[in-house]
Amino acid sequence: MDDRGLRLAESVWTRLDRKAGAIVELTIRQLRHRLSTWVVLSVGALLMILLLSFYIDAVRESFEPIDNDGDSFDADKDGYPMGQERKYGTSDYNGDQYPGSSKFLLEGNIDLDDNGRFITGNYSWNGEALFEPVWVDVNYSGNNEFYWSEAVNWEEVGDCPEIDESDYNEQTWEFNWGSACLIGDMDNDGRDTYYVRGDWFGQGTATVLPDRSLAWGRVTEPIFIEPDPPELYIDEDGIDCFNSDGERTECPASDRLGGSHGFDDDGDCLFSNSEVAKDEGEAPRDDSNGNGIVCDVLWATDFDGNEVLGIDADNNVDEDPNDEEYAGELGHRTFIIGVGKIAFVLLLGLFLPLFLALGLVRDETENGTLHLLLSKPIHRGEFILYRLLGYLAVSGSYVLALSMIVGIIAAALGPGDQIFRFSDLPVWLGIGLATVFVLAAYGAIFNTMGLISPKYGVYGCIVFGVWEFAMGFFTILNPNWTVSSISVTHWALQMIDAVVLLSWPDTLQWAEMGSAYGINSALATFWQPPVHDLGTQSGFVALLVSSSMLLAISSIMIFIGQSVFGKREIM
Amino acid sequence: MSNNQTPAVLLDNTSKWYGQVIGLNDVSIAIDGGVTGILGPNGAGKSTLFKLLMGRIKPSQGSVRLFGIDPWESTSPYRRVGYVSESEKMYEWMTAHDFVTTLARLHGMTREQASESSAHVLDFVGLSDVMHKELGKFSKGMRQRVKIAHALVHDPDLIILDEPLHGCDPIARTSIMSVIRELGNKGKTVLVSSHILEEIERITEQIVILHNGRLLAIGNLHAIRDLLDKHPHRIVINCEDPRSLAKLFVSQEPVFGVRFPSKGRLEIQTNDLSAAHSILPSLIVKSNQKVTSIENPDDNLDSLLGYLIGGVQ
Repeated sequence: MDDRGLRLAESVWTRLDRKAGAIVELTIRQLRHRLSTWVVLSVGALLMILLLSFYIDAVRESFEPIDNDGDSFDADKDGYPMGQERKYGTSDYNGDQYPGSSKFLLEGNIDLDDNGRFITGNYSWNGEALFEPVWVDVNYSGNNEFYWSEAVNWEEVGDCPEIDESDYNEQTWEFNWGSACLIGDMDNDGRDTYYVRGDWFGQGTATVLPDRSLAWGRVTEPIFIEPDPPELYIDEDGIDCFNSDGERTECPASDRLGGSHGFDDDGDCLFSNSEVAKDEGEAPRDDSNGNGIVCDVLWATDFDGNEVLGIDADNNVDEDPNDEEYAGELGHRTFIIGVGKIAFVLLLGLFLPLFLALGLVRDETENGTLHLLLSKPIHRGEFILYRLLGYLAVSGSYVLALSMIVGIIAAALGPGDQIFRFSDLPVWLGIGLATVFVLAAYGAIFNTMGLISPKYGVYGCIVFGVWEFAMGFFTILNPNWTVSSISVTHWALQMIDAVVLLSWPDTLQWAEMGSAYGINSALATFWQPPVHDLGTQSGFVALLVSSSMLLAISSIMIFIGQSVFGKREIM
Repeated sequence: MSNNQTPAVLLDNTSKWYGQVIGLNDVSIAIDGGVTGILGPNGAGKSTLFKLLMGRIKPSQGSVRLFGIDPWESTSPYRRVGYVSESEKMYEWMTAHDFVTTLARLHGMTREQASESSAHVLDFVGLSDVMHKELGKFSKGMRQRVKIAHALVHDPDLIILDEPLHGCDPIARTSIMSVIRELGNKGKTVLVSSHILEEIERITEQIVILHNGRLLAIGNLHAIRDLLDKHPHRIVINCEDPRSLAKLFVSQEPVFGVRFPSKGRLEIQTNDLSAAHSILPSLIVKSNQKVTSIENPDDNLDSLLGYLIGGVQ
């Protein structure tokens, strides 16, 4: 640099710089000498310690595994948990059906209006018919398959009421299921014919009357199957994701977000489509999300495929994930976002400026030391700006340090395989920065209010603070509500939302997973994708918009304060 | 240094009123170089004048210029101005050196330059031995000197001191007065306000007298005082035997009467105060009496103002 350039720099920029440095330093030292500064900073630190202790308490008592699909329960009290029964296709509400119980294998049937209404053979029968047995098993106890049927009690068989044979087509004997009556030797071949209603086992010829039905088949021998312990059916069907090569990958998948994922680890989706279920009138449950793929999970994404909009699983697929793995991650993120939004932006962001910024210029007037500063070659506007910078240096470095300390502790304790969750730190930095922006905006606003009305400014600030607080909560609950955007907190919370989207792009998927798989979490309450992204769905754009908004608010308020103060006569 | 065309301080038909109350009424003055005393009783307009000069308030009429620049519009003249406010308030938790250094940096000095200059200037006001003590522990006179030091740290061309001697003990007074005289000798423009004539008299001859917001007199204090001296004055002497002392005085030319206002007090009435004072020591020696004090009850601002106002009317 030549001589002249050096002189110019020396005379204009560095001098400005030095004055700024002097006032910033003076402000910092003044704040340091005030008791209220230390009180409010200590309260902030205490709040963080309190929140951290809650967090530590929560991570120390590990997550209770939850049976999300309720299949560890033995509803029919047959000794087998529901999950095991589903796997074997046995009924979970019929105690007579259980894994290994004898099973009826259908071979044929005569329905209400079939032609050819008689059949001869050695079968297990179910229905009602005129039966001429060669023999029957009087000890037969039913086939367990149809819960309304009942084995015929051959011990108590009486005579059937007298009905003319020509009336058989129109009229039958109405009596209870599981019983039979003797008609007599109808064809005079020396064998009696019975009218039978229920389940029975025997050899003979069955004639099915019109409008009646009969099924026949064979019943398997019961085998013993060891009942599974109920614990086996807790967290047994985790969330499965697949990458574009079709290989199983960790959820949420970063490679292929949309499309068909999921795997029925416990097999209860595939088996739920059994004949039994069909027979019992249930709709096939294997493709309830209707995407044409049996037993999968459909991840719906937006048009460019980078945002998961919804997760729709077929019944009994991925329905009982490992709660510790998922609830831990969800809870951890919820903690960070919740602390960032409520403790940092809403509480620290509001109370630090209220205590530290309100009197930046006003106190100087009240203490009578303002003349010392104003008799120096410094424009009053510059003076306000440097004072605010000094305040921001104190409060901002405090907030950044606090966020990083809390962040490092939480990152060391947080869930996951890694020892230290480095991916948390950008979020904490974002929280710290969003709070610094809030501190700047509120500092400028409160300072300006104190300048406009030294007497009543503080009341204005309190009213304003209540408004900000309310808008903050509304923004957390519903960021789309337009009115709440007339507040500083709204934009700061949006900034955090944007930072979260940038640092943890899969947070939306986690939130969707939380609600889709019924994992207990408030993540979706505390975090939604940023609203003000100018339609780009880009976290970066949203961050830019919200931080520019906060900067604009701060600048405008500083400018107003400067004009008010610059035109004021100071007595 | 200010150039010849633009005086350090220029007020042109300047008025300032606060609602119905007049602070300064159509004042025009130009001051450049030397020590000027701004004299006036409380409420005369001294503070208003200084606030206008320091850009704290805006003139209702007329104009104010410091080195040719309007101080309400621009703070640039303050590079060349040092201001000692009447206010006692300082950052009590700072040391004197710290305080002066901090404020010096507001002139764009580096930390080192500021530290060096403030040590120098604190030495100049005679505080070098206590400059690393906290201001909260300083006496009134020491605080006053710290304030002067902070106003001098950037070597200004114009120094404005608002009642710098107010409330100081005699030793501090003497030392502050000598500092102010020295500044004047260095060729600085110095404005000192006071409501005590005697103080100003010990510092400078060049005075501006304000009264009820008006500029009452401007010029050399001796010229004014000579006029004043020709008017009846009283000298009160506290002594053992006023009557025997009175005998010595009545025969003297400048004395036209004596009174005995109370026990042990002699009041001499004169038309020529300086002549009376010149014979006073020899007569007292001659009387061989023990004189405990000599007072000039009419040699104050009030009687000066009374005379000036009378003269104007």
